[in-house]
Amino acid sequence: MTQRRKLTNWLIVLVALHGIIAAAGFFAPYDPVEQDRGRPYLPPMHLHMVDGQGHLHVRPFFYPLRLREGSFDQYEEDTAGAVPLRLFTRGAAYRLLGLIPSRLHLFGAVGARIHLLGTDAYGRDQLSRILYGGQVSLLAGLLGATVTLLLGALIGMAAGYYSGWRDELLMRVAELFLALPWLYLLFALRAFLPLAVSPLEAFLLVVVVIGMVGWARPARLVRGVVLSVKERDFVRAARGFGASDFYLLRHHIFPETASVLLTQAAILVPQFILAEMTLSFLGLGVPEPMSSWGNLLATLQQYSVLVSYWWMYLPALAIVPFFLGYLGLASALQQRTTPYKLEEKTGWNPS
Amino acid sequence: MRYFLRRTLHAVFLLFGVSLLTFLFSALTPGNYFDEMRLNPQISPETVSALRIQYQLDRPLPVRYAHWLNAVAHGELGFSFAYNSPVAPLLWVRARNTLALTVTAMLLAWLIALPLGVWSAARFGRAPDRVLSFTTATLLVVPDLVLALGLLILAVRTGWFPTGGLVSVNFDELSAPQKLRDLGFHLALPVIALVVATLPMLVRHVRASVAEALDAPFLRAALGHGIPRSKLLYGYALRAAANPLISLFGFSAGTLLSGSLLVEVVMSWPGLGPLLLESILARDLYVVIGGVLLSMLFLVGGNLFADILLYWADPRIRTAASAK
Amino acid sequence: MQPLLKVENLLKHYAAGRSARSKDKLAALDGVSLSIPLGETLALVGESGSGKSTLALCIACLETPTSGSISFEGIDVATLDENQLRLIRPQIQLVFQDPVSSLNPRWTALEIVSEPFFVQRRFTNPDRAVKALQLLDRVAIPRKMAGRRPDEFSGGQKQRLAIARALALEPKLIILDEALSALDCSVQAQISNLLLELQSSFGLTYLFITHDFAMAAHLADRIAVMDRGRIVESCPTENILRSPNHEATRALLAAAPRFIESTGELVHA
Repeated sequence: MTQRRKLTNWLIVLVALHGIIAAAGFFAPYDPVEQDRGRPYLPPMHLHMVDGQGHLHVRPFFYPLRLREGSFDQYEEDTAGAVPLRLFTRGAAYRLLGLIPSRLHLFGAVGARIHLLGTDAYGRDQLSRILYGGQVSLLAGLLGATVTLLLGALIGMAAGYYSGWRDELLMRVAELFLALPWLYLLFALRAFLPLAVSPLEAFLLVVVVIGMVGWARPARLVRGVVLSVKERDFVRAARGFGASDFYLLRHHIFPETASVLLTQAAILVPQFILAEMTLSFLGLGVPEPMSSWGNLLATLQQYSVLVSYWWMYLPALAIVPFFLGYLGLASALQQRTTPYKLEEKTGWNPS
Repeated sequence: MRYFLRRTLHAVFLLFGVSLLTFLFSALTPGNYFDEMRLNPQISPETVSALRIQYQLDRPLPVRYAHWLNAVAHGELGFSFAYNSPVAPLLWVRARNTLALTVTAMLLAWLIALPLGVWSAARFGRAPDRVLSFTTATLLVVPDLVLALGLLILAVRTGWFPTGGLVSVNFDELSAPQKLRDLGFHLALPVIALVVATLPMLVRHVRASVAEALDAPFLRAALGHGIPRSKLLYGYALRAAANPLISLFGFSAGTLLSGSLLVEVVMSWPGLGPLLLESILARDLYVVIGGVLLSMLFLVGGNLFADILLYWADPRIRTAASAK
Repeated sequence: MQPLLKVENLLKHYAAGRSARSKDKLAALDGVSLSIPLGETLALVGESGSGKSTLALCIACLETPTSGSISFEGIDVATLDENQLRLIRPQIQLVFQDPVSSLNPRWTALEIVSEPFFVQRRFTNPDRAVKALQLLDRVAIPRKMAGRRPDEFSGGQKQRLAIARALALEPKLIILDEALSALDCSVQAQISNLLLELQSSFGLTYLFITHDFAMAAHLADRIAVMDRGRIVESCPTENILRSPNHEATRALLAAAPRFIESTGELVHA
């Protein structure tokens, strides 16, 4: 398979994955904040095609759950009433991409609620929460990566273009940031910022903190590119026409850094999504009621949840296809530039 | 000798940088830390004002930093409000536990990665190698957090390993070998989590470095001399690959620290990780600073150790250093 | 009549050690003086490392000399600031040795040749394209290749593009820094003829830098020999060939790969 093909394939995968999360309202059967306190911690429901009497149904269906006799948290299927699954149903109102109001959902049911991934302590549908939570986590990762790349590009260009003591200083600071384990940096940064803030502020804080941790490697790479491009004769020639520093940076030097920045983006975004997840899981990130993959997992810190309600772990797996997609994209991008040193550069340890 | 000095200087510079960074972060926070403390009913107003005077909040920044550095140099890392005790003793206990975890995990990971990587490189491109590569690639896609949580759930549901704490409740009543066994069982889960998290990357790097070394002309010459295969792999190829691998060792110390922080929190292993987290949530400033510094000390120590190892292992560095 | 370019006692030192304050200085230019009258070609011949390229960069105001003066049309360009320089720059243009490095590989031929207009903000957009195409005609590059990237051109064509670009701002002085050295012999001949033709059409003045004496003899009215940062000999072409004085000159002559047919003599030591 050619390089181009591979790249396109991975891009398609990633766009599809992001698309599903972006259109969370459509793919999620319910509103994520809708509670059903009477039925907490429902296990995932199964879909059937064949009922108890051996009849094959046209539509997949499910049995509503009821509490088992004599138990207060064990559920079993109520085989009396089979509820069919409906596609493209009307459900809770939402705004697609935050703009277009709609009530259309991919699937749903009438008469009973279907919870393909179970519910949480407040009876909220986990599948819906995972889809909506993904919006927060993905956005945090993408925005954080943007901040880092911007910062890294600016610093790298300044260091590479101007040389001298500025370069030395910037690179020493970069070395410091590179040597420190990312989680510690994250913690240190987050620690000294106010804790009790609104969800939106918390989200922005998380983005800024994440963004400020990872700038060192892109900066170094950009600096390397700038140093080599700076000496090329076409840059000299442009100076010979009277080009200003800004012109040179913008029209000749920056385009050369684009491929480095793109590859770094593919490597950084998943790491930053993970960083948000980690922060939120530990209670330092996005707080309730805003849901993100991280704080969905926070309930796992309770022993009782760990033992009895295994489906609360599922949000953790949501990130895996994204990691896979980005890793594939990164390696496809790498192969376009340097076909050999693959192992060295796609280092997965976030650092 | 000069090489060693240079690396030590570098390490010291790193520590200075970290201390400066953490100090700056703490000093430049929006809102006064001591104001928040004043709101805390557990701390008396007299303590707050005494601390204000002691930490000289009215003085300019460089003076405060120098003063604080001086205190640190004397082993005085401040006072913890949550635990109501000086910071240093708190840290040592936790640090010991973290070291136990990370050193064990590091050793185990490398002990597994080296033979596995060499074995894989020796069969480069063939079926067993490809299976291993696929496995490591798959594991790499799963982030540490997901892995740790997954292992935790597994442990809880199967009951194979205890999940949390250093030792069991009845530890003191056990005999010596039982004590060791108990400790080992408690250590097992976090160690497994850490090892599984770092192993894939290590194996890939070992494999790549050894494969590259195996390709070298000098190795083919050795093969031609009739040197037995195992000696070739371990005596020659691995030694040639030693340089990048030792650098990797130093580098992995950093990632292991990050990883151990997470694993400790998830698995409730009483190391520096949970302490750090608690202190952040409790706004216990000096514990945070002390904890970060101590961890950096370990990191720098690990890197320095790697540098020394490199010096000992690679004659080229020795000659280059003495030539300077 | 004052010469177009007059260089007096030009010095350029580089710090040889790691720190900028190192005592060991490398003198790339050790007191260079030369002058070129309007419309003439001066060839600067020397070995690699003799300082030719440094001199070229200084004259083109891309490097600042340590001391000395560079007078262009009577104005000392070494003392001007960047804004003033911007007005002078169009008059002095440079053609580099390696066209692969001197043409941005991501740009099309048209963009490359019209870049000077863009930087100096001359003409409107459609006019720029028209003028650029005219320049391409002048250097015998077919118009249909205007949208191609440099890697689709041959070495000789790339240099033609570089020359077209150098002509864009209607300079008076063109410095050719080993511009033909990377080309095949037959291509060299073509391009040098193009250069001569352009010179007579536009009244250009050339500073032609090379290590190849034969090439210098073909193109130049006067030849200056450079050795270790100094001009060691400077006279009209015929004189230097007939009776070279300096050691360096003789060495360079001996190294000239071809017999010089133009003077009808076999000059080969």
